[in-house]
Amino acid sequence: MGDNGEDLALSRRAARGDSAAFAMLVEKHERQLRAFLLRTAGADIADDIAQEAFLKAWRAAGQYDGRARYATWLTSIAWRCRLDQLRRQRPVPVEEAEASVGDSGESAEVADLLDRLDQRERAALVLCEGHGWSHSEAAQLLGMPLGTLKSMVARAKQKCRQMWLGEKHDELV
Amino acid sequence: MTNSFDDRLAAVLAPPDREPDRDFVLRVTAGIALADRLEARRSALIRSLAGQLAAIASVAASIMILGRSPAVARFAAESPPGTLAALLVSFSFVAVLLVPGIMRGTGGRSWRLEIART
Repeated sequence: MGDNGEDLALSRRAARGDSAAFAMLVEKHERQLRAFLLRTAGADIADDIAQEAFLKAWRAAGQYDGRARYATWLTSIAWRCRLDQLRRQRPVPVEEAEASVGDSGESAEVADLLDRLDQRERAALVLCEGHGWSHSEAAQLLGMPLGTLKSMVARAKQKCRQMWLGEKHDELV
Repeated sequence: MTNSFDDRLAAVLAPPDREPDRDFVLRVTAGIALADRLEARRSALIRSLAGQLAAIASVAASIMILGRSPAVARFAAESPPGTLAALLVSFSFVAVLLVPGIMRGTGGRSWRLEIART
């Protein structure tokens, strides 16, 4: 049985109320989902959104039909949770909002570059460059045409590269 | 330079290589269990309220039908106002005694306690 088939079987069991089957799905997908949310929403709320997404996935388990990967289906639920959370959020000063997706350790400087991208650019870049998603999967998740997604990823990557090279140059000068 | 940047970007954006976080899995499953319990109680409360509304509507309809009966109308016309008032007060008293018991039966109080605990 393939990965999709296994996840579909677990999801069907979850739809019948089998919480142990759902726990296996959580165990299997939490690492990727939380990494995505950490990069797009920030460390302080990533886990809250992940929990909300898993609760919605549990309640909608019967709707997963196995056509897409379970990770794609789950991430699209989490992405909608993130957008809802942004809509509910009171407006915050730009400096405060941009300081939320930081990182510690050796990856901090590249993470800082991500902070300067907008939500959708960041999500597209994380999924396509970091999580190995196809462009069409990411385009479907973000609700945009494939061509637009491809240019967005290229543009986001280019922005990061330029900022990174600029900072390296500043350090040398 | 470009490759170095691409490699670093991919490394930073990739999910961390680690074992599943058992604590997180437990938190999610506990959260789901609690949400399901609250949802079940909320549904029970709504069902119970709907039942009570139906009961009140049927009592009101019965009173209206009885009130149209000539015998009852004659009784109301011939009875002293004090007797009618006493009957109404007795009915209200019985209602006041019964309603809290009905509300406890719906689980409404424990549902509110559960929310307070969370």
